[in-house]
Amino acid sequence: MDFHAALGLGLPIGIGIAAIGSGIGLGGIGNGAMQAIGRQPEATGKIQLNMIIIAALAEALTIYAFVTMFLLSPNIITK
Amino acid sequence: MGLEFLTRVRRASLLAGLVAALLVATASRPLHGLALFAGLAWCLVNLFLIEKLIVAATSPDRNTMPALVRAALAIGGMVALFTVGAVLLMRLSAIWLVIGFTFPFAVIVLKAVSLLILPSKFWRRVTGSRWRGAALVALLVGAAWLLISSAGGASQRAHGAHAARVAAAQQAGGHEAKAEAGEAEETGPQKFPNVITVLHRALPGAPWVQFLHHYEAIVFSLFIALMLSLLAFLATRNPQSIPGPLQNVVEWLVEKLYDFVVGILGPKYGPRYLPFLGTLFIYILAMNLFGLIPFMDSPTSSLNVTVALALVVFVYSQYIGFRELGVVGYFDHLMGNPRTFIGWVLVPLMLPIHVMGELAKPISLSCRLFGNIFGEDMLLVAFATLGVTTLSFAHLPFGIPWQVPFLFLALLTSTLQALVFTVLSTIYFLLMLPHDDHAPEAEAQHAHAH
Repeated sequence: MDFHAALGLGLPIGIGIAAIGSGIGLGGIGNGAMQAIGRQPEATGKIQLNMIIIAALAEALTIYAFVTMFLLSPNIITK
Repeated sequence: MGLEFLTRVRRASLLAGLVAALLVATASRPLHGLALFAGLAWCLVNLFLIEKLIVAATSPDRNTMPALVRAALAIGGMVALFTVGAVLLMRLSAIWLVIGFTFPFAVIVLKAVSLLILPSKFWRRVTGSRWRGAALVALLVGAAWLLISSAGGASQRAHGAHAARVAAAQQAGGHEAKAEAGEAEETGPQKFPNVITVLHRALPGAPWVQFLHHYEAIVFSLFIALMLSLLAFLATRNPQSIPGPLQNVVEWLVEKLYDFVVGILGPKYGPRYLPFLGTLFIYILAMNLFGLIPFMDSPTSSLNVTVALALVVFVYSQYIGFRELGVVGYFDHLMGNPRTFIGWVLVPLMLPIHVMGELAKPISLSCRLFGNIFGEDMLLVAFATLGVTTLSFAHLPFGIPWQVPFLFLALLTSTLQALVFTVLSTIYFLLMLPHDDHAPEAEAQHAHAH
């Protein structure tokens, strides 16, 4: 397997793995936030703000993989 | 006039020459900037010595011994200066040296012209009204730009013709595939066409279009900043106690941002950093949403803009650390506030961790914003392309707008990413501010829980 084929196979798989990881993380964050809002509805605003911050942190990991894919994807095509 | 005028000329040309030398050093080679500054210094020292000589020769006590000594010293200094100048001429580039040498004379001429213009009736009429002054400034800037572009056009013409040939060749090669796809760009990943790329394809040779195309993100972000400034100016120009619609919206936004920032940073530090953080939010939000307007482009979908924003936040948060904690307190903070023996033992571990953490902040901030907005653009382009290929059997000039549902998603991510950028910047500021207890992360959560 040459470099281009390895890149072409690896990039989508890498994106997928990153998305799985941050999907699990986002699920946990949403779960916790919804339970907290259910227990204490008057704190909804503050809980949502914190949820959004942590969700952005979790989501950023996929975004890094995404940016990496865009940086490397021109290399897939053999000249 | 007189000697006081010469002192002012010296100071003005020193300042302006320093700026010009720095500009030349960054735009051209550093040695050229050095040459410019050396020429300037040469001319200034020369003028200074001539002034001393004339003062010594025309003063009433010109036949006394001290005046003669001063005149002799000035002449000796000029001889020494010419020697130094000859060495400089051999070492540094002559043309920049000459430009630097003529710099003070240009300043003198400009100052004399301004002395003529400033008391005149024309100048008083122009500066009497704000709008007339703005029109004059715009006229001068436009004239300067025209002059510069026509002067630079001659040298760039060969380069421009070459670029146009390359673009034509690329278009000829990829025409089939790109006509199918509907939207096209010469290099890099495809994006929706915007005003500047359309102009670039229509007039690939014109120097001003090339300028716009080269600095596309900067042009758009400057345009947005201009629009926001205009909006702020219009909203605050004539404040009423019963606000009109525009003032109402702006006041609501400012109030929300105030509550938000003060809620995190507290009543002492919140108002101090509200202008920066609020501006950051409004500016990023406007830049993110700008790409959703047809034939416009989000500047934040270019990594250069987001890195610039993140670097501003980084530098400002370090500055806050120095200002609020002091130099000792800042390094104490970086070492993890060691107070006990265990704390001092852990310093070699904590210091690199904190330094790396500080350096990772701008990287993560810029990559997050860029990735989200760029990814959103790519998603829209992908679905628009899909819509065109769906109808490609009919050879129509349009497609099914599959991207419409994702426009709402783009609205959501644009707002959310502007919010996230602002929230994270606020928290980075909060971590730099002095705390009651010496655990930054606990303090952050503590502040949020309230």
